[in-house]
Amino acid sequence: MTTAKLMANRKAFYQLLARLYEKELSPKFIQQLAHLTYPTAEQNPQMQAGYQQLKAYFAQQPLAEMADDLASDYAKTFLGAGETKGNAAFPYESVYTSDEKLVLQAAWENVTKIYRANGLVMATEMADIKEDHIAMELKFMAHLCDVAEPDLAQQTTFLNEHLLNWTPQFLEDVQTYSRTNFYQGVALLTAGFLAEDAKILATLQRPTATTQSFKLTNAAFDQLLAKWQQRYHVYAPTFTTNRNAKQQPMVRFGAVTQLADIVYDRQSDFSAKEIYYPIMQTLFYFNENNVTESTLDDDKDFLIFMHPCDINALKRTDTIFMHNGAPDSYYQRLREKVKIVMMICTESYENCFCVSMQTNQTDHYNLALEFKTDHVVMAVKDPLFLSDFKHQPTTDFVPTFITKNKGQAHLPKIQNQAQAQLAGHLDYWQTFNDRCISCGGCNTVCPTCTCFDTTDIIYDETSLDGERRRVWSSCMLDSFTMTAGGNRVRKTPGDNMRFKTMHKVYDYKQRFSTENMCVGCGRCTQQCPKDISFLDTINGFHDAFNQAKNETVVK
Amino acid sequence: MENIMLPKPHKILAVLKETNAEYTFRVAYNQPIDYNQFFQLSIPKVGEAPISVSGKGQGYVDFTIRKIGRLTEGIFGLQKDDTLFMRGPYGNSFPVADFENKNLVVIAGGTGIAPVRPLLNHFVQHPEICQNVYFMAGFKNLDAVIYADELPKFASAFQTTYCLDTEAAPGFRQGFVTEYIQNVPFADFDDYNIAIVGPPIMMAAAAKACLQEGAAPEKIWVSFERRMSCAIGKCGHCKINDTYVCLDGPVFNYTKARNLFD
Ligand code: SF4
Ligand code: SF4
Ligand code: FES
Repeated sequence: MTTAKLMANRKAFYQLLARLYEKELSPKFIQQLAHLTYPTAEQNPQMQAGYQQLKAYFAQQPLAEMADDLASDYAKTFLGAGETKGNAAFPYESVYTSDEKLVLQAAWENVTKIYRANGLVMATEMADIKEDHIAMELKFMAHLCDVAEPDLAQQTTFLNEHLLNWTPQFLEDVQTYSRTNFYQGVALLTAGFLAEDAKILATLQRPTATTQSFKLTNAAFDQLLAKWQQRYHVYAPTFTTNRNAKQQPMVRFGAVTQLADIVYDRQSDFSAKEIYYPIMQTLFYFNENNVTESTLDDDKDFLIFMHPCDINALKRTDTIFMHNGAPDSYYQRLREKVKIVMMICTESYENCFCVSMQTNQTDHYNLALEFKTDHVVMAVKDPLFLSDFKHQPTTDFVPTFITKNKGQAHLPKIQNQAQAQLAGHLDYWQTFNDRCISCGGCNTVCPTCTCFDTTDIIYDETSLDGERRRVWSSCMLDSFTMTAGGNRVRKTPGDNMRFKTMHKVYDYKQRFSTENMCVGCGRCTQQCPKDISFLDTINGFHDAFNQAKNETVVK
Repeated sequence: MENIMLPKPHKILAVLKETNAEYTFRVAYNQPIDYNQFFQLSIPKVGEAPISVSGKGQGYVDFTIRKIGRLTEGIFGLQKDDTLFMRGPYGNSFPVADFENKNLVVIAGGTGIAPVRPLLNHFVQHPEICQNVYFMAGFKNLDAVIYADELPKFASAFQTTYCLDTEAAPGFRQGFVTEYIQNVPFADFDDYNIAIVGPPIMMAAAAKACLQEGAAPEKIWVSFERRMSCAIGKCGHCKINDTYVCLDGPVFNYTKARNLFD
């Protein structure tokens, strides 16, 4: 089965299940269900049993009575109507995951955020059910199957962290409270399908046999790079003529034409971000009466050599630019050009803590490679590139990921609003007032920082002709929150450090219910002129928070 | 894909003087706008700034802008018939439908009166919507009083308290507006809402005073003013905790607002 077909089938089944739970069934819909042919040789025993139950129901019950019969069972099972008053299988995740068994708890907030991050809000005509209703969660899975490039990792996370996290108990309850074979069958079918789907997703994400690997001599690799220049802008970490904060030659992402240009024995000073989100970008040109959108120089795609941390960082910048409010076309027009050559890490650099941030691995790349002393091994995941390797010997290279860094980050476990307040008001933050000089360097090198300022450039003081630019900004600068009237909401370097740190390891995740923003690349540590290690900052935060939490409890 | 950063040209219909420091720009516009929304205005030779709608009517929208240094200076070079570039409207609004048939207390500090002005005018024209409207406005001194010609109109339609921080003058009480919140008969209300707009310190003090008078936090609505560069959830300037004021605000219920810390 092709992936597209598989996605379409999964989507259809998720939609069907969603419809079964969303509300009572109409006579017409019941009739359609009654006339379906159900598979007889289903692999999954639960699904098989589910189909049996449905068949049994349709065989026993007169068609004319089904709608009423099912409506009353629906009300009894899911709404707690009738004799079981109060005892029912309430179809909300937060009922099953909150201590008090209430609706609208943390789980509801979480899924609402996830939907929003995917540009979805619930239609108002659905006002009588909530976002964490099983029907909505199933519909969301259907939605994730229905996009041009399904994000399997996202599907897996949602399935595991949401549906599978509460439905096993819920579906058992459905079996306890429902009296018809029909809803008994629906419960079995759902349980079987979700378990089966988790397996399907796992299989799909295993590196497939279609990924072919090749061994290239260094000379052959140089030829390949030369060939790629015609189709792509090829970017990789490479030396610049400048020096970094530690007075070493600065490594940034720039155009490379040969193997010798690529620097991979240390972390680059800047991240790959500057390729698809440039430091300075002209948005449009204007005169007194008109604005004209800027255009791109050419239509070549970008082939970027990146480590797993930077590849994971792309997802964070995508979230801000594409999913926090309406999508940003300036980001999109460069982002869609990006093709990725993953450079696997054989050992971790000095300041990395990607393993703690779970960003040490990824399956989001077109090609992967490892530099060996006298040759390069490459795995070709995207068939588009296969023809470039026609005459190269194959090898059994499979990308691997590091599993250990020198340093580990311990993230504070902030569980509720009161604890978030505690975390935000720790004295710890003000210890940075004497250390941090608010230079903003840490933001500049960060692959996940997205903030910017816009400014207008006027060509000639006597006219109104000019252009609007956007330029990277930095939340560590003392002017970041300054309003026209001169007020600042965050007033000290410590306030800024608290803001940055919590954004990187707490707030972003809270908002988007996904991963933390920081990918643990260690560049901010490498950059800081005052030797402030971000890893130490996080761990210090963890300790100060735990201490304050214990003191609060004792009080 | 739609380019959401691109402003559109609009014609300036009039420039009206409010105080020595504040002018209202009336701009041609005929799309619907919610109460308390704002636009990103292009300030010539500088860039963009978020400016609240201070009035609206058939075919126009008003913006009251204060001369504060370089940032807004550029706009004061514009006059009637010139072009102003803007994009919007952005932000949420006060839950006006919820205000129906209840008492409403509006507490405004200084230029904070601008964003609630359309709402006040709406209630002047439709006195049947709310029960009683209590409107309290505080200004620094007499020179800082904006919309002076409209204050009597509000005074005849609402229960008003006008005050000046540092001066005594007829028609005004002396002192901070927050000192007079105790005069609002919260105990007699069967239901009410409170809308607070103004500088951050004034809003915090006003909310605190309301709570002291026994007001319930969920009845209080505050409108945040933040530095914004994009107004569309990208530039990061307006972020507080996991909240983006431009996308999730600027109006917040106090139960949420009190948890946001800078
Ligand atoms: S905060 Fe520091 S370690 Fe984390 S992604 Fe940014 S630069 Fe890398
Ligand atoms: S933490 Fe270091 S790099 Fe970041 S602003 Fe402070 S001094 Fe600069
Ligand atoms: S103003 Fe740019 S993110 Fe809100």
